[in-house]
Amino acid sequence: MNTSRYRYADYLRAGGASRQHISLNQLVPHLERGADGRPLPYTPPKLHLRANEVLRLLQPYISLRFMDQLRAVLPLALYLALFQLLILRQLVAEPWLVTAGMFAVIVGLMLFMEGLKLGLMPFGTVIGEQLPRKLALPFVLLITLLLGIGVTFAEPAIGALKMAGQLVSVEQAPYLYALLNQWSGTLVLVIGASVGLAAVVGTLRFLHGWSLKPLIYISLLLVMLPTLYMAADPQLVTVLGLAWDAGAVTTGPVTVPLVLALGVGISLAAGKGGGGLSGFGIVTLASLFPVAGVLFLGLYVASVQTPAEIVEAVRLAAASSQAGEAVWYTHSPGLDIISGVRAILPLVVFLFLVLSFVLRERLKHQSEIFLGIGLAILGMCVFNLGLTYGLSALGNSAGAMVPGAFMAVDNVATSPLYNYGVGLVLALAFAWFLGFGATIAEPALSALGMTAEELTNGVFKKKTLILAVSIGVACGIALGLAKLIFNLPLVWLLVGTYALAALLTMLSNEAFVNVAWDSAGVTTGPVTVPLVLAMGLGFSHATHAVEGFGILCLASVGPIITVLISGLWSRCTSAREVRAAAKAPQASSLETLEDMV
Amino acid sequence: MSESGITYLTDVVLITCVVMHGRGDDAVKVAREAGVAGAIVYNARGHGARERLGLLGVAVEAEKDVVSMVVATEQRDLVMHSLYTQLGLDRPGAGMVYAVPMDKMATYIPADVLQRLQPGVA
Repeated sequence: MNTSRYRYADYLRAGGASRQHISLNQLVPHLERGADGRPLPYTPPKLHLRANEVLRLLQPYISLRFMDQLRAVLPLALYLALFQLLILRQLVAEPWLVTAGMFAVIVGLMLFMEGLKLGLMPFGTVIGEQLPRKLALPFVLLITLLLGIGVTFAEPAIGALKMAGQLVSVEQAPYLYALLNQWSGTLVLVIGASVGLAAVVGTLRFLHGWSLKPLIYISLLLVMLPTLYMAADPQLVTVLGLAWDAGAVTTGPVTVPLVLALGVGISLAAGKGGGGLSGFGIVTLASLFPVAGVLFLGLYVASVQTPAEIVEAVRLAAASSQAGEAVWYTHSPGLDIISGVRAILPLVVFLFLVLSFVLRERLKHQSEIFLGIGLAILGMCVFNLGLTYGLSALGNSAGAMVPGAFMAVDNVATSPLYNYGVGLVLALAFAWFLGFGATIAEPALSALGMTAEELTNGVFKKKTLILAVSIGVACGIALGLAKLIFNLPLVWLLVGTYALAALLTMLSNEAFVNVAWDSAGVTTGPVTVPLVLAMGLGFSHATHAVEGFGILCLASVGPIITVLISGLWSRCTSAREVRAAAKAPQASSLETLEDMV
Repeated sequence: MSESGITYLTDVVLITCVVMHGRGDDAVKVAREAGVAGAIVYNARGHGARERLGLLGVAVEAEKDVVSMVVATEQRDLVMHSLYTQLGLDRPGAGMVYAVPMDKMATYIPADVLQRLQPGVA
């Protein structure tokens, strides 16, 4: 066969593909010279792009970030919608509104994340690096505490807690209703203060190299005692689910990086960094302390108000709001926007004050930072809108319809759709796969897996961790659903699972304990939390349970147990291998001895 | 071939492609499909367009992947063209690709290849 070879350049030239050459000499600026004949420093002018060039610049930038969020949201949304359509044979109520809401969630998260990166993270790094060097430790810890409050307000999932309050019936659970409505500001403040306190304790742990285990035992004691006390009171027991879920809500995309930046900065400044385990522990404490905070707040509310007073106050408020014209910022679109602004601005103002008055620093690229803050606020508002119309609505309707698989509920016409056993298995399988799917795609988990692999010198594989955490969350959510179906007492589930976790903690070594307890915090992102919360509430509404909280906290303790178990198992197998390897040469030397004899 | 012998490859060009962080693997894939044997990816930080675009500069990632690869002179234009078009380097702020002439390089050459090209030596 006669093949001819051409150079590609010749082919292009012959084919007339457009190629031009321009000398770079034509593009370089002409330098001005000073009086002494030396060239003056040149400042390049701002580049001006045409409209279509701006479009081409922004298109990949936006589509990349959009796809990131789409990948996180779409599979979950599709799973929920298809489950309703195929298994329950029900249409999602108001499909267009929900779709628009989910779109708003994606766009909102995209804007918020980018705003976080551009506008808030630069503060975090500068403050984390500079603050511990310029101030005495007590002041640094005070600022850490305040930062904890600020970041909690800015956490997107916190909005979901407040939204959940509107679905609670005041007659059945007056204290829960009071905490989520009249006291909701205080509630977030208490959760924030607990996160701040956790950050302080976690930072002290870095500084002094404390082991995480005793801290875990102490905090468990701190949360278990009020839990047991409140479980005995039929009015207060309704608050338990909220309190334990609050821990899962706090550790999101704002809190973790900002608080960690400060904590790691402090330990670096003290020359105590470098240890592989620094950075761990804050997340664990930040998911346990808020539980105690909310429990104590519940006790306080119970001491100042009786259930009858709360019900009366709500009736009065309802009557007065019906009489007067509702103001625009007290109902949906306006409220979402106001709460978005209120979430971000305090944190930004606080960071700005610390930076300019305490550190006397100015940030570079100020306009970029202002853009970032603007994006974060805009993103938060859009996300809140999406939360109301998309995530909450979808989760709520899924939760309300799933029981139709095995029992008669009002909103599913032909329910029960399947016989009791099959329907029950379907409902639990639905919850299990929801948890598994939502977790395995979590980007924070992949990062944690990498750290875990490095910490344990490869004994604990990244894939093992991701699988263990996903299975843990899946089982936790299924258990949570079972709790709602059979009306199991949450307190005994919590005592049982946390006792098991504590026992496994005693048996495990420090590295596994750090990874396992932190894995509970990273799994609950801004999409999963509202979805699961709304699902639980919808479910409880359909099954006429008093409250639907408690799924999230079981989803947090699940991975602790599975990760600790798989850690122990991998240690056992590697120890067995080592023993087998040690035994083999001994046996052979014995044989040689026998041969010699 | 003696133990201490060295075989130089001549007619080689160094192509370097600078893209935003995370797209380095895409560049390697494009190069591989254009017939390039291998590439090295470095992480680097770039300055230029980001500073001069004002607020639009946020769309230009400062963290870069620098992908450099040695190709034959005859491959040069095809590889550059593929990288330029398939990585969208015709967009503002997307990156750049450049070629630098090289004198020669040496690396391991499989015995079969060596035998085919220089039957007398091997």
